[in-house]
Amino acid sequence: MFRRSQTLKRLYEESFLLREYLWKYRKLVGAGLATLFVLDILEILPPFFMKQAVDVATGNEPLSVLRWAAAGYIGTAIVQGICRYGWRVFLIRSGILAGRDLRNRFANHLLGLSASFFDRKRIGEMMSLATSDVEAVRGAVGSGVLVFADAVFYFLTVPVAMYFLSPRLTLIALLPLPIVPWIILRNEREMHHRFEKVQEAFGKISSLAQEGLSGIRVVKAFAKEEIQNQRFEEAGQAYVRLNIELAWVRSRFSPTLDFSMSIGLVLLLFVGGRALILEGLEGGAAGALTLGTFVAFQRYIQKMVWPMAALGVAITFFQRSSTSSMRFKEIFDEKSDVPDAIAPRLPAGVADLGSLAPRGFRTAGRVELCHLNFAYPRSERLILNDISLTIEPGERVAFVGRVGSGKSALLSLVPRLYPVGKGMIKVDGVDINEWPLAELRRQVGYVSQDVFLFSDTVRENLALGQEEPEQSALQQAVELSAVHDEILALRESFATVLGERGVNLSGGQKQRLTIARALAKHPPILVLDDALSSVDTQTEEKILSSLRSRPGRNTELIAAHRISTIQDADRIVVLDGGRIVQMGRHRDLLMDVQGAYFGFYEQQRVREELERYSESLPDVGAAVGVEVGVTS
Amino acid sequence: MKSFSHLLDVEERDPTRTPPVQKAHVVRLFRTMFKYPRVFALGMLSVLVGIFCTLLEPRIFGLAIDEAILPKNWDRLVQFTAIYFVVTAVRTGAVVAQGVLFESLGQKVSHDLRRSLFAHIQSLPMSLFDKNPAGRLLTRVTNDIAALHEMFSAGFVSMIFNIFMVSGILLWLLSLNFKLGLIAGAVFPLLMVAAAMFSRKLRVAYRAARSRMSALNSFLAENISGMKVIHLFNRERIQGERYERINEWYSDAQMSTTRIFSIFHPTITASAGLSMALVIWFGARAVLDREIPLGILVAYFSYVFALFQPVREIAEKWNIFLAGMAAAERVFSVFEWKPEVNTGAVSASEVRGHLVFEHVWFAYEDPERWVLKDLSFEVKAGEQVGIVGHTGAGKTTLMALLLGFYRPQRGRILLDGIDLREYDLKSLRAAFGVVQQDPFLFAGTLEENLSFWGGNLPPSNTIDLHEIFGARLKEGALALHERGINLSVGERQLVAFARALAQNPRIWILDEATANVDSESEAAVTRVLDQETRGKTLLIVAHRLSTVRGAHQILVLNKGCLVESGTHESLCAHRGLYSRMVHYQQLSEARG
Repeated sequence: MFRRSQTLKRLYEESFLLREYLWKYRKLVGAGLATLFVLDILEILPPFFMKQAVDVATGNEPLSVLRWAAAGYIGTAIVQGICRYGWRVFLIRSGILAGRDLRNRFANHLLGLSASFFDRKRIGEMMSLATSDVEAVRGAVGSGVLVFADAVFYFLTVPVAMYFLSPRLTLIALLPLPIVPWIILRNEREMHHRFEKVQEAFGKISSLAQEGLSGIRVVKAFAKEEIQNQRFEEAGQAYVRLNIELAWVRSRFSPTLDFSMSIGLVLLLFVGGRALILEGLEGGAAGALTLGTFVAFQRYIQKMVWPMAALGVAITFFQRSSTSSMRFKEIFDEKSDVPDAIAPRLPAGVADLGSLAPRGFRTAGRVELCHLNFAYPRSERLILNDISLTIEPGERVAFVGRVGSGKSALLSLVPRLYPVGKGMIKVDGVDINEWPLAELRRQVGYVSQDVFLFSDTVRENLALGQEEPEQSALQQAVELSAVHDEILALRESFATVLGERGVNLSGGQKQRLTIARALAKHPPILVLDDALSSVDTQTEEKILSSLRSRPGRNTELIAAHRISTIQDADRIVVLDGGRIVQMGRHRDLLMDVQGAYFGFYEQQRVREELERYSESLPDVGAAVGVEVGVTS
Repeated sequence: MKSFSHLLDVEERDPTRTPPVQKAHVVRLFRTMFKYPRVFALGMLSVLVGIFCTLLEPRIFGLAIDEAILPKNWDRLVQFTAIYFVVTAVRTGAVVAQGVLFESLGQKVSHDLRRSLFAHIQSLPMSLFDKNPAGRLLTRVTNDIAALHEMFSAGFVSMIFNIFMVSGILLWLLSLNFKLGLIAGAVFPLLMVAAAMFSRKLRVAYRAARSRMSALNSFLAENISGMKVIHLFNRERIQGERYERINEWYSDAQMSTTRIFSIFHPTITASAGLSMALVIWFGARAVLDREIPLGILVAYFSYVFALFQPVREIAEKWNIFLAGMAAAERVFSVFEWKPEVNTGAVSASEVRGHLVFEHVWFAYEDPERWVLKDLSFEVKAGEQVGIVGHTGAGKTTLMALLLGFYRPQRGRILLDGIDLREYDLKSLRAAFGVVQQDPFLFAGTLEENLSFWGGNLPPSNTIDLHEIFGARLKEGALALHERGINLSVGERQLVAFARALAQNPRIWILDEATANVDSESEAAVTRVLDQETRGKTLLIVAHRLSTVRGAHQILVLNKGCLVESGTHESLCAHRGLYSRMVHYQQLSEARG
């Protein structure tokens, strides 16, 4: 008893999506089931008309009945046709709508999850949820319910009609019925089992193919194409073998069902025929068998095959749907780790207007880091360790440090891409956790090293931050980031489509576009995390100096390597191992020749000199043969 | 929907361009099928037996009425019952056999296709892999072949079966009673016309649905990869709404395929009803007029029912068929890409390793952007040569040219005095032992990786992997995960080195092979390396300049040009690019 209630509870949980959408589209589903019910009730009529025709032909009924039988048949067919139209339109539609809703819900849920979620999940996994798992749920809502109801309705109607015609024959004809559930269950289990093996084998094939294709250089360099082919071939053969094993179960399933119901036909032929021979064909006595009834029974028994198979089909639909539903549940249970503030607060003065900031509101741009600690979610390693720092409005602060020093992590915390650990970041005196998240991100223009542009027009990409972009603002942004001329040089300038189906830009162009995109929303706080790495030095200097002159007082947090970028900053923060090791102006920091900054400066200076030297080398020319006889 | 059109396939942007199923592809698919004549013939036989029994059953039922029940002949009834049982059993067997046979035929055909596609892709020149991401090629090998198989086993077989079935029933009806047969089949030609009309509409509707679905999916995939940007620009709501609009657009397309079916199916129902009413009307009269026996009428009832089911099934399978043809087009287009050309026949298995570059120019795609410019140098057999330069200087390209992945547009490369083009590609590649900075290992055991599934193992006296993987090897065969991610980079390099050693290469190419090896394994590697590469030509691509200090010759590349060459000492004395690079690296290393 306990176990049964457990199973029911599990089934209840696993069907949460199915229940939700059936309820949401209850009207459509209801209408669909109603038309289906009418259709199935009408299904009992055609054999009855056949019975009449046979009875007329054997002289048991007058010829005038024939007209009714023929007309009745056509009439039934037409009404059935209308019902068929009805259930398709209603039930399949509800499935399509449920699929659409589930995709929307999934996409919107993803849009609400934070960076750490996407760091740990692969796109492929998300995409298979949005495609095949949605299809599984949709199948259950549309086809699963349909097939199941159809089977139930058949069971409710056809045997009743048979019983009405002849109780004795009904019992005999339906004799094979009890073994049917047994066949279905056994086959289902076996099919499921073998299907899993097939899936596993397919996984092996795809990972072999994937590996072979991504490692193609190695395969070719070792000239091992043949062996790869052979391995692929072997995996493929295993897959074929398992599929054929599955085919044995799958192919025998519905013929076996069909056969077991055909036993009913054999019994009908034998018992019914015997009764007709013994009791006469005229059927004068009440309840006696007529040849017409006999023929109608043949048809009814044939009809019982489908609902049997349908139950199996419906079970498969529901099983797939519940597996997929549980996958969705896992994702839907994920919460953003940078949730919007519960009691949002804005800096004093603005707060008077309530939690909603007025349009065009700009912060002063004071950024305070108070004893900030940080580790990436689900990780123990401390990336930032007790960082305290106040950046005044309008100040430009450069962050330097080695890879892994924590500067990227620090900068990504300002727009709250990741949750702040211990300690606090304040913008204009308000903890960023208390800022309305959207408002905070409107105030912060954050550009990281990895460039991402949408495969859309240049304009759409630039206007990402705004509801109603003004051309002048976009114009100004692209001029500030020194990419204006290059956009005009594109075939359709601002209307050019970028990306896989459009134009491919160079790395430097993409970087400048992403900077322009951030500038276009006119943020009081600008965060550039190594955002100019693919841009040449002159252009970088040009961009940075024009940023200085951009209207309004702007706070800038910049992580960079080039000396020109750094020495121009109002303050330089040197990070190492997640701690601030030095801080100050360029000139002051250089005084400490033992300090980390001095070492960094020296290294960077030599590096830039090296770059300049290599740039200055002649483009095409004979090599300088330093030692005689080595160059040809 | 102003801004979504760029997401669509060319075909749907211009709906007039819905090309019909290409005949060549159908022919090609047929040909692969006839490679298994026995399975195919048996399958067809079981189809025919199945259909024959299906036709027989109602006839036996009818005969039982005419010859046993009406004349009250008990013995005949027993006979007919027995025959009926046997025929049903045979039919069941035939249907099972048909399912298994065609499924295995389908599996074999798609296995052949998948295998030859994989082999073909492997034979493609490197430049095609640069252009097509591995993911896209993978989709061809897995999903598209799966769609093809689906088309074969569900679409194609059911098409054959159902067409045979319909024609069988029609012929049988006519032969039982020509007049009644004509009456019963009268509706059929009309239905076929309707079906043809619907199928045309369906093709367009399905194509729209498929292409909108792929637009929807690529939109989502793109948004997932650009999620940070969406968050930073507060675009969650807007992107969500755009997704919903494309989604709506897609479900509209789904809906329109449903609508077409919703009209088509009732058409079949009504046609079947009409046909049956005609049989009832004329059939019963014919029995009364003694034109046909009652049994024929009863059999007719079953036949008319059976006649319309195949039409329904073909319609249901139509989409699978169309999707399969679309996949076939994609798959066969890959087959049309030209494989790598093996231009030579000279075996490189015994080369000494004397290399000469003569004014080599090379560009990947854009002929204006030379990656290597007028490169000339010589490497004597047995010499150790370091190749240094910034990222993008052309070091990797140079190696790719040596392995024949690409051919220079101008100039030539000589190995032992013979142009590289003259060598047989496979033997040329096998003559090189390549160890990459981040080597690609395969999922499998250590032994499988070293011997490349059944080839030679490295000579046991050379590299002692037990020394390095001792503890892990003792527990049994060391299983490497995909790409060998369960090993450290240093360990991966060791395995890659041992793997190359097993090939007994004539020329070594080390791509900064010791960069990430921890000091313990570095000692091991250095020892084996010294020992095994002695006397052989050795090219080291170095990022850490200290690794090439002892080289006989150092080539310094800059922007695709050879700017300096010489020994470490002479280059340092020259105070050019190399000496500056050394200076910079010393500074960096001092900083740690």
